[in-house]
Amino acid sequence: MLVDFRFKALDPIRSNINWLLRPLEHVMMLPRNAFEATSEYFTTRGTLDKENQEMRVRQAELSLLANQSELLLVENQNLRQLMDLQNHVSYKTLPVEILFNPPNPISQRIVINRGSNDGIMIGNPIANDSGILGQVVRIYDHSAEVSLLEDRNFAVPVQVARNGLRAAVFGAGRGNPLELRYLPVASDLEVGDILITSGIDGVYPPGFAVAAISRIERSADKNSSNVFCVPIAPVNRYRQALALLYDPQWDAKPPTINTAPGITPSNTPGRRQTRARGMQ
Amino acid sequence: MIDFQSGYILRPVNPAFIYLSLFSALLLNLLPMGNQVWVPDWLIICIVFWNIHQHRYVGVSIAFALGLIMDVHNSDLLGLHAFSYSLVAYLAVSWHRRILALTVSSQAMHLAPIFLLTSLFPMLVHWLLSGTAYWWALTAILQALVEAMLWPLATRILLSPQRRPLDVDHNRPI
Repeated sequence: MLVDFRFKALDPIRSNINWLLRPLEHVMMLPRNAFEATSEYFTTRGTLDKENQEMRVRQAELSLLANQSELLLVENQNLRQLMDLQNHVSYKTLPVEILFNPPNPISQRIVINRGSNDGIMIGNPIANDSGILGQVVRIYDHSAEVSLLEDRNFAVPVQVARNGLRAAVFGAGRGNPLELRYLPVASDLEVGDILITSGIDGVYPPGFAVAAISRIERSADKNSSNVFCVPIAPVNRYRQALALLYDPQWDAKPPTINTAPGITPSNTPGRRQTRARGMQ
Repeated sequence: MIDFQSGYILRPVNPAFIYLSLFSALLLNLLPMGNQVWVPDWLIICIVFWNIHQHRYVGVSIAFALGLIMDVHNSDLLGLHAFSYSLVAYLAVSWHRRILALTVSSQAMHLAPIFLLTSLFPMLVHWLLSGTAYWWALTAILQALVEAMLWPLATRILLSPQRRPLDVDHNRPI
């Protein structure tokens, strides 16, 4: 246990056992999947009609938004070029399925059905349609374990969507609300504020909803405020999620990795260019 | 082996049945029941049962191996379940004479502390390693109680092949 905790040296053993265990887990998931499939099969026509109607309305709204966002994206890109700002890093998404959450009294984790063979890396954020779920913490060939926002000391740098205030959200352990730390007592926060990822850490792409503020306790004598939030994305409702293949090391790479003499470091779009210019 | 409840001599155990029951308990543990605290650890009931009744077939080493598998499934520290399962197996083996002399319900009460040890072990270890106690994990007491309540049922099911009569009388004269 100590060896695993301190040195993370037993990962080969773990992945071998997991390779043996995976078929068994797969077999034992069949009863639940069959149950869900039958209950889906027997949904009434009315329910389906209603669902279809809602989907259609939602799709109309979303396609309108998508058209506008295309326009805004181009405009934003042009303005950024005009002002010589750094371009946004683009990222790919990969649909994943949540297999199960392992029983563990201490942490909340989920296991997803994609692994390193599908291009997922340690540190990739996992999101669903409403917001960030968590981050990949352990990876196998065909599956990966995702630590959820609730895990203790799980930190996400966020921004208050209303006024752009930056802070960090910390998990406080299973069953406890998330905490917003490092904010002075006089900061402009209200219950119900949405917190979105700020993207300054290079792990989470900016603009994803993370949590909503649920309770604020201000204490003037300590000049600090305890701010509690709840995650936005529901974990146990859907089985589908998206892995955001956002390179965590994108910004931190030194500019002169394996550049042969004579070849200047390429200014690929999206890479932060200030350091490279300084080197030249 | 004498069944202390009925006083009858039990039939010899079939080792294949032992391993089959351990395997099916492992499969039951792999069922995706969600991260609920009350879901019993079927494997530990089975391990404790066979350690008490047939400690020559099932010992600490099998408990250790099964614990390693559960560690990987639960994404815990490698060795956490392995250690707690082996500890419990050792306790069960060393107490088996005393426990076998009791009735089934008092057996369950005597085994509740053992189940409690496995349920609270992850919390204790994380407390030692990281210095912060997760009081939330104390709800795992519920799991231990459910396991203790399942003990009579486990005894009934797992002893049933040995309780079969040797020759079945189809037309027993009164």
